[in-house]
Amino acid sequence: MKKIALILVTLLTFSTGFKLTGDGVDTNSKMKAIFIMNFTKLVEWPQSYREGNFVVGVVGESPLYLELSKMAKTKKVANQTLEIKKFVSSDDISKCHILYVSQKSGEEISTIIKHIKTNSTLIVTEQQGLIDKGAGINFIIKDNRQKFELNKKNVEKYKLKVSSNLEALAFSVK
Amino acid sequence: MIKKIYILIIIAFLTNSTFGQFVGKDNLSISLFYMQKSELDSAKKYIDLSIQDDALKSLSKTWYYRGFIYKELYKINDKENKTSALRLTAIESFTKLLSFEVDSNEFSESAIKMLNYLATTLYNDAARSLDPDNYKTAILIFEYYRNTMQMVNPTIDLKLQDAKFKLALASMLNRPAETEQGLDSIQTKQIAKLYKEVIDLDPNNPVANYNLAILYYNEAADIINNMDYDMDIEKLNEVQDHCVEIFLQALPYAKKSYELKYKLKETLIALSNIYYGLNDMEKSDFYKKELELLELEDLEKKKEDLEKEK
Repeated sequence: MKKIALILVTLLTFSTGFKLTGDGVDTNSKMKAIFIMNFTKLVEWPQSYREGNFVVGVVGESPLYLELSKMAKTKKVANQTLEIKKFVSSDDISKCHILYVSQKSGEEISTIIKHIKTNSTLIVTEQQGLIDKGAGINFIIKDNRQKFELNKKNVEKYKLKVSSNLEALAFSVK
Repeated sequence: MIKKIYILIIIAFLTNSTFGQFVGKDNLSISLFYMQKSELDSAKKYIDLSIQDDALKSLSKTWYYRGFIYKELYKINDKENKTSALRLTAIESFTKLLSFEVDSNEFSESAIKMLNYLATTLYNDAARSLDPDNYKTAILIFEYYRNTMQMVNPTIDLKLQDAKFKLALASMLNRPAETEQGLDSIQTKQIAKLYKEVIDLDPNNPVANYNLAILYYNEAADIINNMDYDMDIEKLNEVQDHCVEIFLQALPYAKKSYELKYKLKETLIALSNIYYGLNDMEKSDFYKKELELLELEDLEKKKEDLEKEK
């Protein structure tokens, strides 16, 4: 029976592989990236924004930047190349189609809005209450699931059109 | 014609000289004669004839010697054969012997010893067969082992052996998870079932709890990792529902592993990641911080050890 003990111990000490979020997939960011890809299809930008690169900006530190960069390597928005920009602070913000404001950015949404000026930018946030303070789309968590709120007025004031599909898929529409 | 007669006389002579000594003897006696001469193939031939004889097959010694002969043949000729029919016949014969009145059976004690020996060889072979190509054989042999042990002692508790074997089997089947290949959903279900069976047998088994948590976590993480960025929101919501369900399945096992303090650092990573997958950032950060503290403590300890060495 000694032999068997040895064989079993060898098998039992075998450890199961564990995929670290940092090394493999950031589950939360992957979901958000897919949502953002959908937003590019369900929101209509003015004609002048349908040429050149399709720019998605990320304000503040967020793992989403890496995920979006990964997505940009393989995906396009219609025939526009996807470009991901990182803005350390609101002062760095330049013209972009979508601006994602990380919760960790520490920036006030009002400051961000000032920097957007008259650009046709879809502002996407991830903080409770920001949908009423200027964000077009705000990511929320409901029952452990990633969902989004939509504020049509905040989207349309930047000359963007919201598809009825997007409205239907939003957790709430204002 | 004369030649033919000579040949017949020679044959008759030879036949009589070889078998003459067995005249009037039964097949069991002949078998025992060969057994004593270590001519086991001939012994086997006659012992098999014995069990076809109504009078002989009702004798416990017939089954005892059959078991013994087959066991010896297995030991000498067939030990490397993990599915040896000789071994199974030996077990079957001893089992038959024990079905007679055991208490008064003069052979039963010795038969039990031999059954124990054969059961051990089965257990060893089951363990040796735990590889991706032969695991089904391992399962079969382990079942023979269980049946044999239960025959020897009907009240025996094999929980520990069952748990060990299932755990080893699950760990072996889980090997592709550490490679690029990964696991498909059928493999995942098969492994999860085994770990759950181990936990049913031994609820505080740290390895099974930890591995099951990781198995479920990896399943959900793999699904998310393989999602196409072009997936529409409706489909995305469906996948989310499915993954949340899997993360929730992982949670109690990860918590149990934490409670048992098994692979504490890895378990803390698991808990943090599972809650992250469940979008519960507060709890995810809680376990992340605990991990950071643990790592800091380890670092301090290492520094102290280095200082002592100086």
